[in-house]
Amino acid sequence: MEVTDTKKGDYLVINLSGRLDTSNYGELEKKLIGFIEAGDKKIAVDCSGLVYISSSGLRVLLMALKKITAAGGKFHLCCLQDNIREIFEIAGFTSIFRVFDTLDEATA
Amino acid sequence: MDDQFNVKIMVVDDEVDLEPLIRQKFRKQIRTGEYDFVFAHNGLEALASLIEFPDIGIILSDINMPEMDGLTLLTKLKELKNPSLKTVIVSAYGDMENIRVAMNRGAFDFLTKPINFDDLEITINKTLEETLIQRKALHEHDQLISIRHDLNVAREIQQGILPKTFPPFPGRTDFEIFANMVAAKEVGGDFYDFFMIDNNRLGFVIGDVSGKGIPAAIFMAVSRTLIRATGLKGMPAGECLQYANNLLCNESVSCMFVTVFYGIMNMQTGEMEYANAGHNPPYVLKKDGTIEMVPSTGDIILGCFDDQPFKSAKIMLSPGDGILLFTDGVTEAFNKADEVYGEERLESLLQTMKDFSANKIVTVIADDVSEYAMGVAQSDDITLLSLKYNG
Repeated sequence: MEVTDTKKGDYLVINLSGRLDTSNYGELEKKLIGFIEAGDKKIAVDCSGLVYISSSGLRVLLMALKKITAAGGKFHLCCLQDNIREIFEIAGFTSIFRVFDTLDEATA
Repeated sequence: MDDQFNVKIMVVDDEVDLEPLIRQKFRKQIRTGEYDFVFAHNGLEALASLIEFPDIGIILSDINMPEMDGLTLLTKLKELKNPSLKTVIVSAYGDMENIRVAMNRGAFDFLTKPINFDDLEITINKTLEETLIQRKALHEHDQLISIRHDLNVAREIQQGILPKTFPPFPGRTDFEIFANMVAAKEVGGDFYDFFMIDNNRLGFVIGDVSGKGIPAAIFMAVSRTLIRATGLKGMPAGECLQYANNLLCNESVSCMFVTVFYGIMNMQTGEMEYANAGHNPPYVLKKDGTIEMVPSTGDIILGCFDDQPFKSAKIMLSPGDGILLFTDGVTEAFNKADEVYGEERLESLLQTMKDFSANKIVTVIADDVSEYAMGVAQSDDITLLSLKYNG
């Protein structure tokens, strides 16, 4: 998995690519907590390069969503590949997360 | 640096003038805490000091001393078998014979008299470095042992709650049930459970906790207990999950969650009521060999959002139909080419399982997954539960 970040308007955009699973979720967790604690309140996660997510990965996203929402911020997801979207739907996450088709919409 | 990496240096010499000399020469290092000296005047005192100061890592010892000489001390030190305790021997110039004996008895290095303090400093630093590396390695080794211990505890919790006697209800011919979990090396949090609610209704559960280790194992045990306790009261499937969810939300540390499918099979009517908290939809294996997915209820995982409603849905089974519950360790097993096992492969396998017993269904799928993933470390628990309704 690779995690990179850029700025787009008000939003901090995090690009995820590769596989987010038990072997590397800790890395993303640390980064996200770092951003949130540093005061980033608008985060958009671009999942266009994400090919697999395990339940540990879902937990990290959930944790970030909860922390940011509690701080009055926004945590958006966009560009989910079909298999990732399916996992989100099965887990019932599409009703909890705000999921957008494009990065532009996610950072609007 | 951690306390355990603070290393004391013990100087063993019957020459009483040596102590003030060393304290004077290394006063800077002593002041900054870089060096920390202990002094002994013969081998026996040295051994006593080792007990008093377990953080001694370097011994700088003379050879000729009363009570116990340096070479005997070396023999005693060897018996301690402490790889992070290094001895540097100080001998008379040109005394090759004693130096050879000292090295053969496990001395790390030697110095000759009169002591050149620059050389002594280099030797101390070199030895310190070596000792620190050894201590760190030892520390990491101990940590690994304790992690392995943790994993064993987690595995015991997990294994302890799974029903393992099959058939579990030997007198009953109206249904068969079989389940199996193959745990991954790193303990995950899969579980299954089943229980008779009354004479006609069987409750059955499959779940997958996110996360690993002891916290996941405890979360799993709590989830299973909550669902079983509410299930046994005969509450509708959705209400059971809702109740469990509210209690789990209090338990959940950093958003640990569990996906659960809970079904209630009425053996008299063939009706299966179910609720699904974010779990992979199970399959219905029809008597004629076709398969169907159990329709989703769209409800979210347990343990993260309280006061969520959970829906109960119903489907009808006919005698000869079966249900297969599984966790994503099945469909997300990877092969050597880094491809997932996938639902398609599972579905086509299921289509060959007309008239299979519950036991055979589980066994054949588990074998197929393990064959597919041959040579790749299993990253997630693989759990299967099969229920066959005979009517």
